[in-house]
Amino acid sequence: MRRLFDTGNAAITEAAILAGLGFYSGYPITPATEIAENMSRRLPPAGGYYLQAEDETAAFHMAIGASLGGLRAMTSTSGPGFVLYADPYGWAIGSEIPVVVVNAQRVGPVSGITGAPGQGEFYLSRYPTHGGNFETIVLAPEGVREAFSMTIEAFRLAERFRTPVTILADQLVTDGWEAFEVPEGPGEAEALGLPIPARRAHPGPEFYPPTDEIDVPPVVLGRGTGGACSDWTPTEEGYDTEEVEAQMRHAFRLVYKIRNNRGLIDRSELLLMEDDPGLVLVSYGSPSRVARSAAREARARGLRVGAISLKSLWPFQDRLFPRHRTHLVVELNRDGQLVREVQRASGGRVHFLGRCGELPTVAELLEALGDVAAGQAPRAMPGARESW
Amino acid sequence: MDRLSRKFLRARKIPGTACSGCGLGQVHKRILLAIEGLGLGKDDLVWGTGIGCAGRQTFNTWLGDNFAGTHGRVYALAAGLRMALPRERRIVLTVGDGDAFGIGLKHLLNCARRNLDLTVIVADNLGFQSTGGQYGPTTPPGAVTDSSPYGLDEAGWLGPDLDILEILRAAGATFLARHLSLDGQGSVESVKAAILNPGFSLVHFIYPCVTHFGAVSLAERDKGRVLAWFREAFGDGPGEPGGGAGEGPGPRVGTGFLKFGRGVFHSAPGSRPDYSEQVKDWTRKMARGQGGGLATGNTP
Repeated sequence: MRRLFDTGNAAITEAAILAGLGFYSGYPITPATEIAENMSRRLPPAGGYYLQAEDETAAFHMAIGASLGGLRAMTSTSGPGFVLYADPYGWAIGSEIPVVVVNAQRVGPVSGITGAPGQGEFYLSRYPTHGGNFETIVLAPEGVREAFSMTIEAFRLAERFRTPVTILADQLVTDGWEAFEVPEGPGEAEALGLPIPARRAHPGPEFYPPTDEIDVPPVVLGRGTGGACSDWTPTEEGYDTEEVEAQMRHAFRLVYKIRNNRGLIDRSELLLMEDDPGLVLVSYGSPSRVARSAAREARARGLRVGAISLKSLWPFQDRLFPRHRTHLVVELNRDGQLVREVQRASGGRVHFLGRCGELPTVAELLEALGDVAAGQAPRAMPGARESW
Repeated sequence: MDRLSRKFLRARKIPGTACSGCGLGQVHKRILLAIEGLGLGKDDLVWGTGIGCAGRQTFNTWLGDNFAGTHGRVYALAAGLRMALPRERRIVLTVGDGDAFGIGLKHLLNCARRNLDLTVIVADNLGFQSTGGQYGPTTPPGAVTDSSPYGLDEAGWLGPDLDILEILRAAGATFLARHLSLDGQGSVESVKAAILNPGFSLVHFIYPCVTHFGAVSLAERDKGRVLAWFREAFGDGPGEPGGGAGEGPGPRVGTGFLKFGRGVFHSAPGSRPDYSEQVKDWTRKMARGQGGGLATGNTP
């Protein structure tokens, strides 16, 4: 292993190159700019193409165009660019084109605070485009080391499921510095699932079988397969159609190829959950690190608390949130997004502690846990008349 | 068309679902004649399309590989695809006036600036006709449409003092031509030159829409008289300027709005590098310099 000390942005870059990235396109935006910068420096010597786009819409479209031609492709951005991704997300989801997307979340709405962490695109990452009739795969690293390994996993999942895979990071993950290890020998690479097999082209003539199968190669153009894909509802052969039955088959495949194989996607880290504690801290991304410290500290003080750190966000892991537990959800926004989903999944008592632009402290979480254990809403939400 | 259809097109999409009197089929035929004239086959080019009449009617008609982009973004998609395909594999895009000169103009101009080896055929029916006949970026001044009921008073990209082809030339395109769908071999030659140009090419084909533009803007449903208006408005031969103001057969739209005539507008093959090839070349050099191979899947 080669040990590096660098940012999450650097870790994502190195991992993508190891995964065999053939094309990157992006547009500078804080706090994801460094990915583009690192790519422009590191990707060409590795044989991959770097293109700086005229805007984020173009950046993502270029990436899926390259993927359509058989290259392993990726783009990255932050919130204001992520909303411009709506158009190509839909195209890539509908045409079943593998691509990896990184969103380094900052504080919103709109431009908000550029250099501070936020978690405002939890739902946007589930519904990144219009029209429904699809599921999305979203992974969420909580630090640099995980940003590295997850990027490699994202490429593998994108190709197995023929769909965009989103890495929903936050500014503390992308700008934060930590040590991480890059594999050097074949054994070390294999442990990370490397090398990912070279892209294959679907041989045709039927490109969209009406099944939930994964590991079917996507349409690749330029190889004489008669490949066809579009923004329209496709027939099995790729023709555009207005037939409702064809759309039903298309929607079934887009939804159930993911739902029926979610065992390959679900990721979480459970801490102090063995004794089924009645009170559980729930988080994803950088707040998870504070949440786990708080859970340990609470135990030390005699409070039976566990912690669930979500590492994959969508499809949502309902099974982790049984009704009999009380959940305190910690996230980097004041409106409460993850908390709504936990409430839906559990149907039980769910409380919310929101911060934006900075992490809560362990002391604040301990106080909030005490409040919730005493049957009241966290006092750490000043001005909020309800917990969420 | 039958012979060309059998040779190059998918039986399932022929005939198309175009309205009576639509000139799009003629544009389609000009492109196929050019492809045949160049001796290209189904595996030599990938065919992309946009949204609207031009995109939907031509999508997946090509016997080889096909794709259709989101509205106005097919240029950016094609830019990415250009990076993945070897130089000899051509990319031809058939798009509409709204797609190219409206929603997609920014991406189109950036493709021209990069001089990417793409052949863009803009099949222009002078407005948004697939949505029922609203004015678009090339609708003639004064035209009454479903969204300009009192007559169009907003300057478009095809007026007496503005021409989209001038903007594309300034943006770095290396081959530009304008034709009417009725043009014969001259327009086929323009498409051939566009495909051969190792850089960004655009051929602007104006074609008649009888159903909406004819019926509403010209108040004319007779195919022959709509065609006559187009002939007069856009001149009778390559290189000739548009006809006299307000003398068309339709009572509502004059024919003197177009400053430039038909034929090759700008031809400078090889005057600027294709950026996609530049990136590929120096990436190869960098990779060799590092002693590493190309990333998985990249064309050598």
